Amino acid sequence: MDDPAAGAPAAAVKALSCPSCGGAIEIKAAGYTVTIVCQYCSSVLDVANPDVRVITEYHEAAAALEIPPGTRGTLDGIEWEAIGYMRRSEGGSYPWDEYLLFNPYRGYRWLVTDGRGWSLGEMLTRTPEWSSPSGLFVGGERYEAFFRDTPAQVDYVLGEFYWRVAVGEEVVASTYVRPGWMLSREANGSEINWTLLRLLKPKEMSEAFGVDVPPRSRPPLPHQPSPYHGTIGKVATIGFATLGLLILLLILFSGRGPLLTERMTLPQTGQVQSATFGPITLDGAYQAVSIKARAPALDNAWVDLDYALVDRRTQVSYQAFGVAERYSGRDSEGSWTEGDRSSAIKMATVPAGIYDLVVDASATRWKTNPSAMIWGSAPRTGPEPIEVEIVASTGMTFLSNVIFAGFLILIPLGFMFFRHAAFETSRKGESDFSGTAAQDDEEDE
Amino acid sequence: MLKVNCPHCGAEVVFRSAALPVRVCDYCQTTLIRSDEGVRQVGKAATLPFDVSPIQIGTRGRFEDQAFEVIGRVRWGWTDGSWNEWLLLFADDRHAWLGEAMGQFMLLAERPIEDLRDEKFQSLLQGKPVDVGTEARLDDETLIAADMRGASCIAAEGELPFTAVTGWSITSVDFRSASGRCASLQRDQEGAHFYDGRYVTLAELSPTNLRPIEGWRMPAHG
Repeated sequence: MDDPAAGAPAAAVKALSCPSCGGAIEIKAAGYTVTIVCQYCSSVLDVANPDVRVITEYHEAAAALEIPPGTRGTLDGIEWEAIGYMRRSEGGSYPWDEYLLFNPYRGYRWLVTDGRGWSLGEMLTRTPEWSSPSGLFVGGERYEAFFRDTPAQVDYVLGEFYWRVAVGEEVVASTYVRPGWMLSREANGSEINWTLLRLLKPKEMSEAFGVDVPPRSRPPLPHQPSPYHGTIGKVATIGFATLGLLILLLILFSGRGPLLTERMTLPQTGQVQSATFGPITLDGAYQAVSIKARAPALDNAWVDLDYALVDRRTQVSYQAFGVAERYSGRDSEGSWTEGDRSSAIKMATVPAGIYDLVVDASATRWKTNPSAMIWGSAPRTGPEPIEVEIVASTGMTFLSNVIFAGFLILIPLGFMFFRHAAFETSRKGESDFSGTAAQDDEEDE
Repeated sequence: MLKVNCPHCGAEVVFRSAALPVRVCDYCQTTLIRSDEGVRQVGKAATLPFDVSPIQIGTRGRFEDQAFEVIGRVRWGWTDGSWNEWLLLFADDRHAWLGEAMGQFMLLAERPIEDLRDEKFQSLLQGKPVDVGTEARLDDETLIAADMRGASCIAAEGELPFTAVTGWSITSVDFRSASGRCASLQRDQEGAHFYDGRYVTLAELSPTNLRPIEGWRMPAHG
């Protein structure tokens, strides 16, 4: 064994001297690590063989990394040490950062960011199953194709790696997504590797590695879940439940045609006429009762209507007041009319019972019509009585309220669907498999 | 169990299973072979290079309700890295291998070459190369060739079913499947061996007596 003093913990690191600058380097993943980049002179060293040799030398200053090698952080209760860093790109464009994490008891993980959010990646040990050219399955979850085969290269390395990493090293990468998760396929001539990445919450990342993460990223990341998706579900559930309840109420409270149609003849003198109509039988536990009055011959006069719906058994009375009025005349701009020859009132929740409708009504002529005085053209109608038709029915006006409530519910829902669709369009805008991207390709050609 | 003294340094060495005739002396790294005539030396194994593997000789665990103990290891190297194959001796005297590469573990047991009927395997057995991504059928499951590489033995320790001489060169082809199954075909001039099993996590083996590593909290398993 490497460890002659049985029981003492094995050293966690192996020390060596950089053959380029002589600096003391510690290998954290001894036995796995093949390539290490000297932290002092940035020389890339080959440590796969006992004789450490310099592969390439970098005399650029080491990039100021967000997570310097040696930093430890805890994700999902497991402590990780950042041991390597790579900057990668697609032929120099769209750069992103990858940090290699190591725990001797847990193996390796990747932290990947392009500045819009961080993902934690783990290499898959199983091969995905193809479902169609645009998607595949891993562990029962479907992933949609997002980026098709694109070359990915290494632009800069620091720290240590379990393979012989080299600047310029190129793989062909494809990306598949589902909300919150990304599946990355990287292939070179001798290996195909699949990595499953989980989008980390900004809080997870800042707590683990003290890295500031923008709370919102624009455009969204390929695997970023739509922030409206969950809310839409909740709002839609509540909204449709409310709408369903309203429709149920509508059915319970709705009427079956007019309960009563009566006529009254009123002299246009302002004298109150009283009439009692009935009986009106209301079957529903509670219902809305609407009463409409219509005076087709009304002109330059008004009708006051006092209604009382009186329960024959209890003498409890439900009261309402309505008015119908109609004025007309002629002025410098021509003839005009104003008012409505009918009146509609509604009693919202009337309990079951047998009722009489008591109507106290009066019709009054509008005597002082200034325009009529000036122009002398107001029609002079005689004092003949006005006929008023009174119709009582249940429910019907309630429908308009339900429609209105429906609108109130659907407007925010529609707005959220719109925002969700806009988010998804923006997210998929970068995809090689979306309509817009296909158009872009055509334009490029 | 057979206890003898190392013919080279005199230290006590133990052979626990008749199926595992090879033993590397813990003290002088001499490779010993046990036979009816006794124990003889077949050379000296190289000293294992330092690594931070969490496994060590003496690590115990369970796999599919069978207790095992780690009793041997072969370390393989290739142009771009190296990996460990730990020998597990189960309570019922069977043995299997725990492959450890890039922080991932696979538990493999040897199977007869005759089980490989697919022509892709046949072509491999005839010494031909195979492309990464090639599919081959085994027991009604599709296996996919994940990599093919030449490797050579860096060093060995403990008890082994074969002599693992430093510098011994093989060709190793690894297969994977959608279910997490994995297999490995290892070929040299003399023939081929086939190993079948699946990927495992360290945690699911409930390991005890893992190797303590300075500065790292050992996970509580077992």
